[in-house]
Amino acid sequence: MTAVTDAPAVPQRPRSRVWTKLRANPSALLGAVLVIFFVVVAILAPLLPIPGPLETDWLAVRKPPSAAHPFGTDEIGRDVLSRMVWGAQASLLAGVVSVLIALALGIPLGVAAGYARGWTDAVISRVTEALLAAPFLILAIALAAFLGPSLTNAMIAIGLSAMPVFIRLARGQTMTVMTEDYVESARAIGLSHLAIIWRYILPNIFPPLLVQATLTVATAIIAEASLSFLGLGQQPPSPSWGSMLNIAKNFLEQAPWMAMWPGIAIFLVVLGFNLLGDGLRDALDPRDH
Amino acid sequence: MPDDAAPLLEVTDLSIRFGKAPTNLVDGVSLTLERGETLCIVGESGCGKSLTALALMGLLPMPPARLMSGRAMFEGRDLLHLPIAELKDIRGDRMAMIFQEPMTSLNPAIKVGEQIAEAVRRHRGASHEEARARALEMLMRVRIPAPEKRLDEYPHQMSGGMRQRAMIAMALANDPALLIADEPTTALDVTVQAQVLDLMRNLQAESNAALIMITHDLGVVAEMADKVAVMYAGRIVEAGPVKAIFDDPQHPYTIGLMSSMPDLGPRGGRLVTIPGVVPPADAMPEGCRFASRCPFAGPDCAEAPPLSDFGGGHRVACWRAPLEQAAEPLQTLGGAR
Repeated sequence: MTAVTDAPAVPQRPRSRVWTKLRANPSALLGAVLVIFFVVVAILAPLLPIPGPLETDWLAVRKPPSAAHPFGTDEIGRDVLSRMVWGAQASLLAGVVSVLIALALGIPLGVAAGYARGWTDAVISRVTEALLAAPFLILAIALAAFLGPSLTNAMIAIGLSAMPVFIRLARGQTMTVMTEDYVESARAIGLSHLAIIWRYILPNIFPPLLVQATLTVATAIIAEASLSFLGLGQQPPSPSWGSMLNIAKNFLEQAPWMAMWPGIAIFLVVLGFNLLGDGLRDALDPRDH
Repeated sequence: MPDDAAPLLEVTDLSIRFGKAPTNLVDGVSLTLERGETLCIVGESGCGKSLTALALMGLLPMPPARLMSGRAMFEGRDLLHLPIAELKDIRGDRMAMIFQEPMTSLNPAIKVGEQIAEAVRRHRGASHEEARARALEMLMRVRIPAPEKRLDEYPHQMSGGMRQRAMIAMALANDPALLIADEPTTALDVTVQAQVLDLMRNLQAESNAALIMITHDLGVVAEMADKVAVMYAGRIVEAGPVKAIFDDPQHPYTIGLMSSMPDLGPRGGRLVTIPGVVPPADAMPEGCRFASRCPFAGPDCAEAPPLSDFGGGHRVACWRAPLEQAAEPLQTLGGAR
């Protein structure tokens, strides 16, 4: 049976088909380009030839865009481009980490509810509904205020607020997958609950969760900006798009560029994640398979 | 080890009810099965044949289903009253099941080879390599072309017939003593059906496994069965060796079933149908459940007839059995010929 190990590679896997469909979708492609652009910029922040985000130049306070400062300077002479670049780190990190928190809590709870049903489901579902009754942003603000202002706490607050959506989605998807014949055949070969969840439920509920996660990153970035705008997120002097907007609102007439760049950046990165999410949804749609 | 004189599977008086329903959906079903034997359970949709199979596998969701009575002795253990952990050890190992829909019975997210290997790893504690080797061997045994390649394919890359072969490979991977097949060929093309039936028969002969085959296709019964049990509205109405059932059907329902089967050759008129419908679960009559559709029904049918033996293991649950002449009443049963 040595022949087994060198079995030929499979020519076409489902994932490669998803790629093909994603590539053929111009708006998804645009979304991916936007997201990748911001991610690359955020990662390369320390390497870019820009001044430090905290370096002040008292000779160039609130200067409009120029050769020395392409995005202009802020109220204490810091380079806005540099703060934008470093701020991208905070925004993306907050977006991704908070969604990971939401997934890490939401998937186990949702799958448990959908798989076990009965009391487990009743308890988890009622709590989820209660959380969903509060608007996402209000909940995040309340939690962040409760936890205390910092970027980490903002991420936790946003993650917890986004969690109910994932619980509900994971629960519903689990219930759908549970009715599939292959789950019954898994039971018929005597697999344990854990093996069925791990190998049969999770892989099959993954696509819709991935789509929801991508879309939620966009929402989470807005939430982080909102919290930072309110002083509950990234703390000064560290840069974040939300806190930049907060300060810039005082200088809208004298230095509109201070508000313009963070606004544009938030718009573009949110657009990017939304387009990518929509594209993923179309590409992963099982009805086309 | 259980004693060898006992049948492999002996089901006695299995009754299942759903929720608060007033009647049993499976009512007093008894079956015996020897090693290597094939039993076909026949009946129309909703007659309880799949419920019976699922109950034996322990796959009926309880609740809503409730076990009202019954024992199912399999290799010395009662499947119906086994702790779930023990049942899980038997399932997929000593007994296995093949489902109706090959298109949906395989996990779309896992390679076919891995799914087969999973059954082996679960019950034999085999390593990945051993289980994979066994999976390959099984794919060869079910005669899937290019098995090395198929091992690493996903179910959606296979045709229906091939998936059903893969399902069979999975079910037989641990050499079960009992195989339950719930309409295994219904979803397949006719030519593929014949191949799959042929395959199942060969594999069964090789492994000496007993087979319970659930079907509503009498052609499949004629092809596969040693014994037949005809079910109607949750009860076995007639059971016996396949030859006896086909040559000399006694229960009016079986007779109706036989004559509603189209045969080749010159058309002799309209297809015979059995008038009426199966009574709904909440309006099940007290006595014989077929009485409302039966051309022979009389006042005594208000009491349920026992399943009595009429020789050679041919058992019938009808007050009219044994019938002398089937020709005359058939006219009435089938309408205008």
